[in-house]
Amino acid sequence: MASIDRRVFQHFDWLLFALVWSVVAIGLANLFSATHAGAEGRLPTEFKRQLIAVAIGASAMVVVLLIDYRRLERWAPALYVGALLLTASTLVLAPVTRGNRSWLVYGSLSLQPAEFAKIGLVLMMARYFHRHPPGRLNRLRDLFGPGLILAGPVGLILLQHDLGVAVLTLLIGATYLLFVRIPARAWVVIGAAALGALAGLWTFGFKDHQRKRILDFLDPTRDPLASGYQAIQSRIAVGSGGLTGQGYLDGPQTQLQFLPTQHSDFAFSVLAEEWGFIGCSVLLMLYLSVLVWGLVVANNSKDGFGSMLAIGVVGMLFWPAVINVAMVLGLAPVIGVPLPLISYGGTQVLANLIALALLMNVSMRRYIF
Amino acid sequence: MSHLAGTDLPIDGRLRLFAALLGAAFAIFELRLFQLQIVDADELREQALRNSVRTERLDAQRGEIVDREGRVLAKTRSAFELDVVPSDLQRRDVTFAALAQLLEREPAELVAQVGNPRGIARFRPVRLVGDLDEVQLARVETHRFALPGVSTRVRPLRHYLDGSIAAHVLGTLGEIRGDQLEQEHFADYRSGDIIGQTGLESILEPQLRGRSGGRNVMVDAAGREVQVLDEIAPETGSRVVLTLDLDLQRAAWDAFHDVPEGEPPKMGSAVAIDVRNGDVLVMLSQPTFDPNLFSGGIDSASWKALTGDEWDPLRNRAIQNHYPPGSTHKVIVAAALLQEGVVDAHSRAFCPGFFRFGGRTYRCWKREGHGSVDMHKAIQQSCDVYFYTFGVQLGIDKLANIAKSFGLGQATGIGLAGEATGLVPSSEWKQRRFGERWYPGETVSAAIGQGYNLYTPIQLAVSYAAIASGQLVEPRLVQRVESSEGVKEMPPSQSKPVAVSPEHLALVRRGMTAVVEEPGGTGGRARVPGVKVAGKTGTAQVVQLQHTEGMKETDIPIRYRDHAWFGAFAPADAPEIAVGVFVEHGLHGSSGAGPVAQRILARYFEKRGMTPPPKQVAGPARQEAPRGVD
Repeated sequence: MASIDRRVFQHFDWLLFALVWSVVAIGLANLFSATHAGAEGRLPTEFKRQLIAVAIGASAMVVVLLIDYRRLERWAPALYVGALLLTASTLVLAPVTRGNRSWLVYGSLSLQPAEFAKIGLVLMMARYFHRHPPGRLNRLRDLFGPGLILAGPVGLILLQHDLGVAVLTLLIGATYLLFVRIPARAWVVIGAAALGALAGLWTFGFKDHQRKRILDFLDPTRDPLASGYQAIQSRIAVGSGGLTGQGYLDGPQTQLQFLPTQHSDFAFSVLAEEWGFIGCSVLLMLYLSVLVWGLVVANNSKDGFGSMLAIGVVGMLFWPAVINVAMVLGLAPVIGVPLPLISYGGTQVLANLIALALLMNVSMRRYIF
Repeated sequence: MSHLAGTDLPIDGRLRLFAALLGAAFAIFELRLFQLQIVDADELREQALRNSVRTERLDAQRGEIVDREGRVLAKTRSAFELDVVPSDLQRRDVTFAALAQLLEREPAELVAQVGNPRGIARFRPVRLVGDLDEVQLARVETHRFALPGVSTRVRPLRHYLDGSIAAHVLGTLGEIRGDQLEQEHFADYRSGDIIGQTGLESILEPQLRGRSGGRNVMVDAAGREVQVLDEIAPETGSRVVLTLDLDLQRAAWDAFHDVPEGEPPKMGSAVAIDVRNGDVLVMLSQPTFDPNLFSGGIDSASWKALTGDEWDPLRNRAIQNHYPPGSTHKVIVAAALLQEGVVDAHSRAFCPGFFRFGGRTYRCWKREGHGSVDMHKAIQQSCDVYFYTFGVQLGIDKLANIAKSFGLGQATGIGLAGEATGLVPSSEWKQRRFGERWYPGETVSAAIGQGYNLYTPIQLAVSYAAIASGQLVEPRLVQRVESSEGVKEMPPSQSKPVAVSPEHLALVRRGMTAVVEEPGGTGGRARVPGVKVAGKTGTAQVVQLQHTEGMKETDIPIRYRDHAWFGAFAPADAPEIAVGVFVEHGLHGSSGAGPVAQRILARYFEKRGMTPPPKQVAGPARQEAPRGVD
């Protein structure tokens, strides 16, 4: 590995570092509260596993920081293809869990390669847009290239029958649309295609329970004991948090386990119940700060690859965070999307820490030419 | 204007747009959080509370029912039930096999009982056994740790210590019915509550029930109790002291069950009351049932057996059935004859064995006739002709008025549900009932208790008590109610004088004493050594004579056999206790009902120290009385 410029560490982005690790710490504390009720005095298994994932993530972060991100531009195609192959391997190797094949299991280790596919996608997109600056893309057909890059992981994830992650991946790729210059006509075409895809999804893509979730979202009292149950219980948990919360480890909804999947998809409602409006606002502000800082990093980057990479990382965090929080607050249907760094899920934590390490990488090398 | 390096993009354009989008999204979240956590917080917090706090009622223990000497007749004991929580079962097959062995039942039967509940029902306990015996309990408890999901639980179970001995008086428990839940006085009951449904259990429900307590429990999403938040202890129901005397009740029971081997117990009823205050000492109805069957919820097979029984064991014959009184009515007629001046002690009638009236012939039970008969002999030997002769002169309406003053033809006020009124006919009644005038010939039958007259067994006891004391007293079953707030004595029974003067009653009593104590009387079977007993036999024809004419008594189908009555009081000159006995299809008052009254009286005076305990007579003591003796 090439020698590392001393200046890199002088410009280390301590702010971003502090923001990220604050979120991780909140996530761990929250996970402990969400799971300790059922653990009868022992350290909850989920908590231990998450702790291990965070430790691995921290090491991965160090490794990623040591590599100059510009080198990654060259490696991007290899990483992209590697991630795709890993994802594809689930189609052959993975057992079917909860109706989809998205987990690689080896002993007690399990991995969700789709999370890494997102990183591969972001790297590849950043490389593409570095070489074809989005400011110059002004015809619909210019989007063919990035569309192809996006189609790879999205297609594979669809084959795994993991619709939620596929849509999420699509949205991450679509983030770059903000930066292209295409005429209004093209937007109409894209909008029509999106609507068509949605209609197609509704008819062919969604399973009955998924359609039901969306209907239940539109009217939660339709079936208060089924998927509406989660939405109602989540609303109750969030609301009963009040201004200052019920207190850590003291939220009745959480500790009496009225919230389904409270450690994973509904982790935010645990936080809301126990820490109240103030606690939620703190976490949301931390998130917003990370995301906006990501945009600042994109702005300050000295090359296009760095900018585009930063934007991709922001998108990678933004979409699941927004969808998850909207779901917990009853603003979106119940979709199984975890809250980055907060929800239980080792691969998610690992992948997001690596992505954030890429962001720090871009940030600390902004003066290096 | 600065550009994103190498992208030809103005940063104040797209990046700011992106930042603005981020800001907008998070602003919406903040607004939504404000709405839920500040505006709706109270309401949602309340919903959270309703989610997790369950208010449970703690049922009070039902009060005891004891006899006049404090002997427990009904109490609530702890029964151990065996529950299975399906969600907690591990290795179902092994658990059920083990349970089957411990309970000595078939595994398949247990599996079927638990079934395969789904959803939230999996967390609800299923009751496998309602009342474990000691051996089963010990076995299950010993192996509990090897049987996850199996638990034993204590629950209150009503227990009637003497089983069916006073079943009709004590009554039964049962789940509250839908129509009851809608009634005002069941306002604080809920579906599934066990309440008194019949007998005293029903009448005394407010006293016996006690006051339930309650507690708030925190439960988790699966409904498991996590913590008790607060608790108000329940208050045990009152202890009710009855007027019944268990010894005498047993004596009556024994008398009804004292039958030759292989024969079913006698059917009918016995009632004994204290002449002086109306305390009901005995109230027995046969056939009977085991009220314990109802305590834990009666199973459908037992219920069908009880309701399908042709002799209707659930019916309290002491108060719910009325029958023609037969000759027991003659003492009331005698009192009326004296009071209305139709006869005096010396008036005589000649009995040739029949009486002609209105072109019809009415027979005396004694075909060869009683000869010249005065009142004393007429009562003693139950001469029909004497009462035919003078009854016609008295007239039905004067007889009815006096009969009513003895409590006949009206409910006694015992306070149990479904009491029959009996019937005392009058010309006004007949006009109302049939739209027809009263014929003097009907008075002839009424004078010997064979017309329209109907008595309940308790009316017999009450009217004979009135002959004994001159006072019609309201019978009562409850002496006092003892609760934590103190002892509440029931008010003494109301009584009012009968419409017959004391000297006339004394004359009737003398005749009744002769029935039992003098040779030639029809009630010799009721004699009690050391005590003078007064009484009167009665036989009520069930079907017209021609159906049974010429048949041997034992060949007559049970349904066609005559009913037997015996009313008595003692001691004859200072009466304390009056007894009314009715034996359904018992053939003769003298032999069918007399011995039952004797057993009750003997036991009473034995307890009073007035007579030695009866010697046990070996062998079948029953003698067939000559057919038709009354």
